[in-house]
Amino acid sequence: MKCVILAAGEGKRMHPLTYTRPKVMLPIANKPILEWNLLKAIDAGIEDFIFVVGYKSEMVRNYFGNGEKWRIKIQYINQGDAQGTAHAIGMVEKFVDDFIVFCGDTIFGKNDIKNIIVKKNSIGLFKVDNPDSYGIVEINNKKVVKIYEKMQDPFTDVINAGIYHFNKKIFEYIKKTGKSPRGEYEITDSINMMIKTKQMNAVFLKEWMDVVYPWDLLDANEDILGKINKKIEGNVEKNTTINKKVIIGKNTIVMAGSYIEGPVIIGDNCRIGPNCFIRPYTSIGNRCHVGNACEVKNTIIMNNSGAPHQNYIGDSIIGENCNFGAGSKVANLRFDKKPISVVLNGNKLDSKRKKLGVIIGDNVQVGINSTINVGTIIGDKCFIGPGAVVKGEIKSNSRIM
Amino acid sequence: MCGIIGYNGFRDADKVLIKGLKRLEYRGYDSAGICVIDKKLKIYKDTGEISKLEKNIPSFKGDIGIGHTRWATHGAVNKINAHPQLSDDKKIAVIHNGIIENFKILKEDLKNKGIKFKSQTDTEVIANLIKYNYKGNLENAVYSSIKKIKGSYAIAAVCEDEPDKIVGARNESPLIIGVGDNENFLASDITAILKFTNRVIYLNDGEMCVIAKDEVTVFDEKKKKLDRQEQMINWNFKDAEKSGFPHFMLKEIYDQPDTINQVLRGRVSEINRNIEFNENVEDLLKNGVDSINIVACGTSYYSGLVAKYHIEQFTKTPVIVEFSSEYRYFGTKNKNSLVIGITQSGETADTLGALREAKKSGCRTLVVTNVTGSTATRISDAYILTQSGPEIGVAATKTFTAQILVLFLIALKIGVNKNEIGPGELYKHILDLKELSRIVREVLENSNKILDIAYLLKNAKSIFYIGRGVNYPLALEGALKLKEISYIHAEGFAAGELKHGPFALLTKITPVIAIVTKDSTYDKMITSIGEVKARGPQVISIADEDDIEIEKYADFVIRFPSNTRHLSFIPIIVILQLIAYHVADMKHCSIDKPRNLAKSVTVE
Repeated sequence: MKCVILAAGEGKRMHPLTYTRPKVMLPIANKPILEWNLLKAIDAGIEDFIFVVGYKSEMVRNYFGNGEKWRIKIQYINQGDAQGTAHAIGMVEKFVDDFIVFCGDTIFGKNDIKNIIVKKNSIGLFKVDNPDSYGIVEINNKKVVKIYEKMQDPFTDVINAGIYHFNKKIFEYIKKTGKSPRGEYEITDSINMMIKTKQMNAVFLKEWMDVVYPWDLLDANEDILGKINKKIEGNVEKNTTINKKVIIGKNTIVMAGSYIEGPVIIGDNCRIGPNCFIRPYTSIGNRCHVGNACEVKNTIIMNNSGAPHQNYIGDSIIGENCNFGAGSKVANLRFDKKPISVVLNGNKLDSKRKKLGVIIGDNVQVGINSTINVGTIIGDKCFIGPGAVVKGEIKSNSRIM
Repeated sequence: MCGIIGYNGFRDADKVLIKGLKRLEYRGYDSAGICVIDKKLKIYKDTGEISKLEKNIPSFKGDIGIGHTRWATHGAVNKINAHPQLSDDKKIAVIHNGIIENFKILKEDLKNKGIKFKSQTDTEVIANLIKYNYKGNLENAVYSSIKKIKGSYAIAAVCEDEPDKIVGARNESPLIIGVGDNENFLASDITAILKFTNRVIYLNDGEMCVIAKDEVTVFDEKKKKLDRQEQMINWNFKDAEKSGFPHFMLKEIYDQPDTINQVLRGRVSEINRNIEFNENVEDLLKNGVDSINIVACGTSYYSGLVAKYHIEQFTKTPVIVEFSSEYRYFGTKNKNSLVIGITQSGETADTLGALREAKKSGCRTLVVTNVTGSTATRISDAYILTQSGPEIGVAATKTFTAQILVLFLIALKIGVNKNEIGPGELYKHILDLKELSRIVREVLENSNKILDIAYLLKNAKSIFYIGRGVNYPLALEGALKLKEISYIHAEGFAAGELKHGPFALLTKITPVIAIVTKDSTYDKMITSIGEVKARGPQVISIADEDDIEIEKYADFVIRFPSNTRHLSFIPIIVILQLIAYHVADMKHCSIDKPRNLAKSVTVE
């Protein structure tokens, strides 16, 4: 059985993090989303993969190669123009017979993938609290009747989870599929056509996590870190405290006075401490530095970034190659404790989070003693001057003095 | 000058080929065609633009094929002469960019062997030559054939009996291999295939390649297998899209503040107070530059003329600017002189020829080009990239600006090396350069007045552009831009030359665009405008904001920010580009693809 993973999307709603990487390569607990999915699918028994890639495909290819590292086979297909899910799946026609396919930027569970593999002609479904944000599915006697676009006041809480088991038949319908109102070829339209002559089975999933906006990564990170086991490969000095489940990578030094409270993952070749406080649900990438008198909490820090001196970072995502100047800090809670709103790509959005710090792209320099307000977005290659107070959406390449 | 593309993979080949040809249309577009292998060779070709071909083409089934967009060199523009060309047994199809010099002899030879020809193209000769050499293996047949061919070529060939491969070969014409997953490509340049892959192998002169679905093999001129590494191209596809502007040209005009930053980035250092190039270039500019020859064609030639004024002013070094096609055969090749070749594409055949000739005579050669890995960068001692990204509009805009700016930096650098420019003066220049991007943005933001001027000009039969000093080549370039895209006859003159002849052409209905800067010839320019006015035409003057005097003489004035000092040529060229664009737009001309023109000219 071949498994097709759709990994071509740019993820515009994940700006600024996706300016420099495709959505599926966003790290959660120090592994790209796609790798988590790959691992689950491997656990479910699959050995033969096709990745449909597009936006910054070289990053996916460089990371996964031919799959040797996982003792599996990975083939790549470049989608070319991004023209929707039906177009993406249509790409693999010549390479599959009976196959499963899912979106690489949604996190699925191992047993659910197994269930989909077992059930021919099936669609994965999931029950959610907010079905108005997703395409919903009408079912009758475990068969799918119709898939609907997302609507206001949906009549069901069953949504299309984005995982399918197809055979060659689907390609006939993909070829007949016209463009949707938003100008793309949607696999849901192809399925709706196919259902008329061929039944599709409904498979309910137990685990499912959708990451749409940058702050959704924090939830996913929390979820995955909740399941890790303690593993310390680095060099931990005397007089440090490591509580609960903490992973510390190779060649990482944790210096005296550091207090780490898991679940926390720290990558390879990092310098931690002395005298720092790392709180639960924090992922720190490779070659990072969290120095003296710093506190980090519920945050993703990507490779080569640092919070070296007297920093506080909470509920935030920091891209690669960023540096915080001495004393610069991130606010993560409104005084009135209301949900924090964010301006992303010029649109004001409700993050529905009470605590949210900053989302920072790659290669950003934050000057000493600067203050970053709640829900701030900072693009790539920005330069935040010393003592600056930053809020709202900062475009890439900006210089804030 | 043509564009070629080949595809071997899993997609519908016809769609990939047409998409690629559309991207290559800038290389010429008088006719086009594709060939897809669906058991037999299925060919469709037509005259006119690719969109016409796309509309009428029947749907082919097949996942391997070749496509071509033509800019005629041998034979008239018609369906028969369009590529692909078939061998007489219809088993081998070939597309070709370049010129085969000995095709007449080869054709006679093949005719004597009983082969019949349908077209007047040199390409059909290649197809039949390959057929004649074919003994069951296409790459061997192509190999034997290219040994017989003299001239420039980038070819791609397919054979009905071997429907799983495309064979490509190049000599003095561009050809790259695009490496994909389960698919591979051949193309004249990366823009044709960037949608599908950004991994590229550059083919060198004399080399050959075989494109299979899952493998690419490169051979050298002795048919020895080469191990070639693929290179990653970081041009974002969106770089090549219009980003909301009605034409690529306008988009590219508005790109210029960024272009300027890109040219200056890493080269103009405010901290070190210096102009910095890479080592090769620094070495070349360091010592013993006695004289400079600039060789170029078309717009690049004009950028050379602009540079002449700067280099002579800053370095006291004599500069001779020559057309590449002239220099190559007639130019004085002094061993101690530095030869600067300017070519946007890096593939301009005349300039490549001139550079090779210069090199042969022992001159040092420096190339200013926009394309990494292009032939020009490989045959010269050193090169400077203008870093302006792909330019799709046939009329050069941002690449011209980048060229003249790079050349300005070269002038400063040589001036410093020769101690003609002191540190204080250099620092002043550096500060001015740092302001340049902002000034151009200001010009673009305040360009509404140009629309009124364009309205005034659009019905003119003929327009004069005049200037003195560095403004004279700008006048030439301004006139060229207008000619190219609006089809209005325009002529640039050195203002002082008007009275020596051109005045005879001046009538009341000939608008005159006068470029006026506050330099030593300001008074002379005012006199020239007076002379023009006396004969009745309307005068549109391009002048800086502080120039109040000019209002008395000109009928209309387009302003650019004052205090630009030596850099006034940049805002002025932007204004000239906008005039040409808006006039052409009001006349509903095909701005991005003017008739009879091609973006990069790879024939001599």
